[in-house]
Amino acid sequence: MASSATDSEFVTLVSGDGFEFVLPRSAACVSGTIRRMLEPSSKFAEALTGRCILENISGIVLEKVCEYFCYNEKNKNQSNVPDMEIPPELCLELLMAADYLDT
Amino acid sequence: MSNSAGVTATLLSGVLQRANRRQTRNQIRGPHSALTDFLASNNISAAQIREDYRRRLEEAEHQGASEEPSEPAENDEAEQSLDESSEQRKNRKRKEAANLAKIKQSKEFARRKARRIGEPDDDDNRIAREIIYQRSRPMPGQLENCETCSKRFTVTPYSKTGPNGGLLCTKCSRSLEDDGKKPKAKKRGPRTGRRQNQSNLLDGIAQQGALSLAEMCTKKVADNINDIEEFGDLPSPLLHRLSQILSKRRALTSRTLNLFLRPDLDSINIYDSAKLETNDFQKIFAFMPTLTNVNLRFAGQLKNTVIEYLLGRDLRLKYLQLDAANLVSDSHWRRLFEKLGPQLEALKLSNLDFSLDDETVEVLCRNCTELRRLKLKQCWKVGHISLQALSSLTSLEHLSLDLVQETSNDSLIKVVSTVGPRLHTLSLEGFPNADNCLLETIHDKCRSLSKLRLSGNVVCTDEGFAKLFTGWPNPPLEYVDFSSTRDVENSNLDGSRDAIGLASEGLIALMDHSGSAIQKLNISSCRHVSRAAFEEIFSDGKVYPNMKELDVSFHTVMDDYLISRILQCCPVIKKLVAFACFNVRDVRIPVGVAMIGGLKAQDTIVTEGRS
Repeated sequence: MASSATDSEFVTLVSGDGFEFVLPRSAACVSGTIRRMLEPSSKFAEALTGRCILENISGIVLEKVCEYFCYNEKNKNQSNVPDMEIPPELCLELLMAADYLDT
Repeated sequence: MSNSAGVTATLLSGVLQRANRRQTRNQIRGPHSALTDFLASNNISAAQIREDYRRRLEEAEHQGASEEPSEPAENDEAEQSLDESSEQRKNRKRKEAANLAKIKQSKEFARRKARRIGEPDDDDNRIAREIIYQRSRPMPGQLENCETCSKRFTVTPYSKTGPNGGLLCTKCSRSLEDDGKKPKAKKRGPRTGRRQNQSNLLDGIAQQGALSLAEMCTKKVADNINDIEEFGDLPSPLLHRLSQILSKRRALTSRTLNLFLRPDLDSINIYDSAKLETNDFQKIFAFMPTLTNVNLRFAGQLKNTVIEYLLGRDLRLKYLQLDAANLVSDSHWRRLFEKLGPQLEALKLSNLDFSLDDETVEVLCRNCTELRRLKLKQCWKVGHISLQALSSLTSLEHLSLDLVQETSNDSLIKVVSTVGPRLHTLSLEGFPNADNCLLETIHDKCRSLSKLRLSGNVVCTDEGFAKLFTGWPNPPLEYVDFSSTRDVENSNLDGSRDAIGLASEGLIALMDHSGSAIQKLNISSCRHVSRAAFEEIFSDGKVYPNMKELDVSFHTVMDDYLISRILQCCPVIKKLVAFACFNVRDVRIPVGVAMIGGLKAQDTIVTEGRS
């Protein structure tokens, strides 16, 4: 089972309050932190199970982060990328999360 | 006689008539209006109208008692038809039915019906009547009662239709319009204009794909800076970036400054302090007792009192950068250097035109003995006495000078020969008359330079530059700027025979020496570099693996071929500046490279995949 998780196409991100988000590995690995967590050679629990538990990020922020991952994947190698909508009340928390996730 | 009788008869009748008239005039009647008189004169009797009206009311009562009205619409109709005979009413009803049938065939009806399906009032007749009603709406200029507020108003072509199909008065129309406008304004599409692209390009940004999430959020935070009460424990690098963005937007005020004052941080970077006053500067030093890095640019309102306060706070400053602090007097600069001098590791002062004279710089050099980084830029009073004093700063590793006053060659050479051996950075601007001796001194003394700038010089020759880079034991340079080293003598437009400034030989020697490490090279306006030299430098097989930025502006020998050679030889180049290269026309620029300048700035930016 472990071996199937390491090369699975999808990974699961879990927020501090228990929300789970399943998204393509390539999209999630935009984040340096998640990429290092999931690095198969690291033998981290996250790498073996394909689940990253992000205790310090709330579900509402993680949802936006996942939206960014997909937005980033979608706009890869394109010019004139429109800005993503970020609700103002979320931007500080999202900024902290972005800093933590190294995105 | 008979004649006279006839005359009396007519007279009599005249009298009788007069009497008759008088009689009617003598009748006592209630007051009646001018309108009644007018109507009477046109043979219309008000009494008759009143009588008719009463009769109609009675009739209606009879009818109302006999047949119960089925729906309110019918009731309306009944009121309308009060003055009709039954014959007329039948006629009208027939017409209306025909009209309704016609409308039910129309497109408008079908559209409305489709929209209403499922709603409680999708009755065909009702919809058709609505259409009739709308068609019979008052024309502009007539009076109508507003549908929402019931006030009487004059219909105009701009009157809006209310939610139930009636017209609205000006006030209600406007509020309806406002409701509709707000969500529209929010929905503005993404701005992906050419202007923004060009602006990014001039900043050297030709990045593909989306911005990083952190950058996007930082911008969003800056957009909403006025709604933010505190940053929480935002890490220092993000604060730095926010300060940059806010400074650029000139939004750093007393209020926004408070967001950056955090006692747990040891650095403050304000790139635009122009709106800060004495209190604000003092607040910085009061709230941040652990400060070691202070960087205040455009500090035009920083006064002596602030310096006094700073000195009273006993801070352990190591890095101090002040820009345009022209209200600080020489005496306070000296006190600052005397007090903080021994602990300062980096000092950068720029745009001082009022103070910082030679004596003050001497005080600086006596006290700031630990300085490793010194930058004096556009300080008007710094002259050659200061320059001599600088040679006592033997711990310097980075020296940047941009002087306004003209200084003697000897003092500069003395500085370079004494501090040179330890220097990593040597940046000299504003020394137009330094000669080849300076280059020789650099060649002889400097062993660990990674950044070298000598710009605006009009004396050093190509030979001097070539000698500097031939057999120089210094490791390869990473950052080189020899821009505008050329002769600008008007009487000799083609330049002297011995090329002045960096030219073919010098450039070839430079690239031989530093090609393997060089990251940024600025050779703009070095007018004597030949095409052959460029061809040699960027020939097949030559690779400059770290070159990221190259400025070749005002090299008229540059053409499409040479640019393509440059792109071939510099695999990681990000920014290529080529202003006034008139032969660069149709060059193909790979994705991710910012090509700035060029004759047809937009057209030349052809992007294609990297080969």
